[in-house]
Amino acid sequence: MSRFLLLLTVVLGLVPTVARAALRVVTTVPDLAAIARAVGGDRVTVQSLALPTQDPHFVDARPSLVLDLNRADLLLAVGLELEVGWLGTLQTGARNARIQSGGRGFLDCSRLVERLGVPAGRVDRSMGDIHPGGNPHYLYDPRAAMRVARGIAERLGELDPEGKAAYAAGLQRFTSELEAARAGWEKRLASLRGMPLVTYHESFPYLASWLGFQTVAFIEPKPGIPPNPSHVAQVISLARSRQVRLVLQESYYPDTTVRLVADKVGAQFVRIPAGTDVRAGQSYREHIEEIVTLLERALKAKETP
Amino acid sequence: MLVVCLLTVVPATFAQSTVPTDAPRDVVDAGIPPTPPASDAPDAGAELSAEELAEIQSALGADATQATLPASTPSPAPATSSGVLGAVQSLNADLSFILDASLAVFSDEEPLQAGAHDPTKTGFNFQQLEMSVGAAVDPYFRFDANIVFSQFGVEVEEAYAKTLDLPLNLQVRAGQFLTRFGRINPTHPHSWDFADQPFMLGRIFGGEGNRGLGVEASWLTPLPWFVEVIGSATDAAGGATARSFFGDRDLGVRTPLDFQLTGSVKQFFPLSDDLSLLWGLSYATGPNPTGHRNRTDVFGTDVYLKFRPVTVASNTVVALQAEVLYRRRQVPHDVLQDGGGYAQVLWKFAQRWGTAARYEFGTPAYGGQGQAAVDYLDPEWTDTRQRISANVTFWPSEFSRLRLQGAADMAKWREETGWSAFLQFEVLAGAHGAHQF
Repeated sequence: MSRFLLLLTVVLGLVPTVARAALRVVTTVPDLAAIARAVGGDRVTVQSLALPTQDPHFVDARPSLVLDLNRADLLLAVGLELEVGWLGTLQTGARNARIQSGGRGFLDCSRLVERLGVPAGRVDRSMGDIHPGGNPHYLYDPRAAMRVARGIAERLGELDPEGKAAYAAGLQRFTSELEAARAGWEKRLASLRGMPLVTYHESFPYLASWLGFQTVAFIEPKPGIPPNPSHVAQVISLARSRQVRLVLQESYYPDTTVRLVADKVGAQFVRIPAGTDVRAGQSYREHIEEIVTLLERALKAKETP
Repeated sequence: MLVVCLLTVVPATFAQSTVPTDAPRDVVDAGIPPTPPASDAPDAGAELSAEELAEIQSALGADATQATLPASTPSPAPATSSGVLGAVQSLNADLSFILDASLAVFSDEEPLQAGAHDPTKTGFNFQQLEMSVGAAVDPYFRFDANIVFSQFGVEVEEAYAKTLDLPLNLQVRAGQFLTRFGRINPTHPHSWDFADQPFMLGRIFGGEGNRGLGVEASWLTPLPWFVEVIGSATDAAGGATARSFFGDRDLGVRTPLDFQLTGSVKQFFPLSDDLSLLWGLSYATGPNPTGHRNRTDVFGTDVYLKFRPVTVASNTVVALQAEVLYRRRQVPHDVLQDGGGYAQVLWKFAQRWGTAARYEFGTPAYGGQGQAAVDYLDPEWTDTRQRISANVTFWPSEFSRLRLQGAADMAKWREETGWSAFLQFEVLAGAHGAHQF
């Protein structure tokens, strides 16, 4: 009996601490979780459905994720059909009207940014896994992240008016830190501007638009279609003729082919961490810092052979 | 626009440089990688030596074994929705078509295939053309339907509305739907790891799987792990959908017990980031037509254990799945009992390749005292049946697949083992909704 009472005390003791945070925020990808955490601070609990090591196009709709959404006050999604293969099932299963696509607790963050890669004209799947609304990988651009943060702060303020000032302060802190860091990053990577690059998937148009490099070829012949020898051969000869010095790939793809291409071309292979490691406490700024450092190191490695 | 660029603007000196450096960024991002027209390919490859080409091939092979498109795993989800009109806002429902056809060879003249969408005869088999439609109705309901076209007819396989916002974590489905008995029954051939359905499902529920017009309520319990409790009441008639119940002899509904009542509990355990376990218990009860108030009860349990590493850049999938069913039917002066099930394993070992093996068994019907008894539905089924199937699947993309399957069917009441081989082909066009885990 006394053991039971002890257990009861522990359980009841846990409840208030768990429930104290004003809003439960669930995000599809860890970058959004990192941004929401920075903006929301103590007033929110934040959780990402996908891991940073996981391809966000292909996440298993594990029922445990339904539980997360069932209790969520706000769902932040990348949008542009990045999560089309899995998020809908989870939303429907969640039995939570707040986070349905039409609800106040759902925010498609792609609406907050300037989209790149919106196909002009008619598209179909013979072009591969295309995103008809535009390229969804905008979180590589800190300028887009700042816009997203502003949108998240606004929405958090609407859902939790008492915390409006706190969210505004969180946004201010996030933005000024990121803005300060951005100047340094741009300086460190100034030599990337105009540089021809090869990437594996079409993951980096936003990074390219920020840092000014040119993506001259993709190792995937079409988005989502694995490379074949003749296409890889074309990419190599093109990359040689354009004197490509860097080959980029997101960390969740297999890298043997990409390493080979880099090797054949005499370029540096840079494996870009695909998401903020929020579980380890990494912030969005630290995530971009990591990417910048990797790119910088690769550029230096080429300068001093 | 990109095509225009490709064809007209590409400087001749850089035959492979698809996008001129001064082109606007959105050309590169247009969703299509800047690949030169195929006719340029030989020139481009010419600069590389044969050795280099061989290296490329082995590197591609290494990547292929390292990663696996999660495409058509049992939980595949991927579908680039709203396809052609994606950028254009529209209130049209998501619409997709799935075509399954196969070339089959059977050693038996009358193969014992139990599924309505199985390959059933030597030669070409049109398995199904499924049209699935789904959309939010309003803020309160979602609508989903699967209309199946066979070669000479159309059937409404499923058409139901589902609530989105009931209190107390409840959800209600109403319409025609597949009951959530076990793991395979609520799913469509498109998400199966085999070209045909386990024979016990066909034997107990019918070729189409257990479904009917009715209503279902499900409850997501507030426990810390995923526990869903489901109950439904459906029509007990239908030779291909509720075979062990009224089946072909619809005696009508006089009391609520003349419906088929189904209950199940699904539990999910995320053992780690990479390992998932889903466990279900199911029960169905309903009237059968052998006598006044005679009833049929079906008990089942299913497990699904999936290993899919997501903490490293390898997407290999290994999935174990098993289901066991036990059936009791009251018949005049006796109770018929039988059981069976299957166990299967799927291994996706390369980016576009997977292989799977399945073992199935089914007992004959026994009477209440354990004596051999005649099954009024399958009088020829007087002994044990076992079947072993194995297949290899190639997915060119997550929207198409080719599957080669072989099976040995050992029904002891037949003199010889029945051998079969299928080459199945499936394509999916349109915007297909995400799948359950």
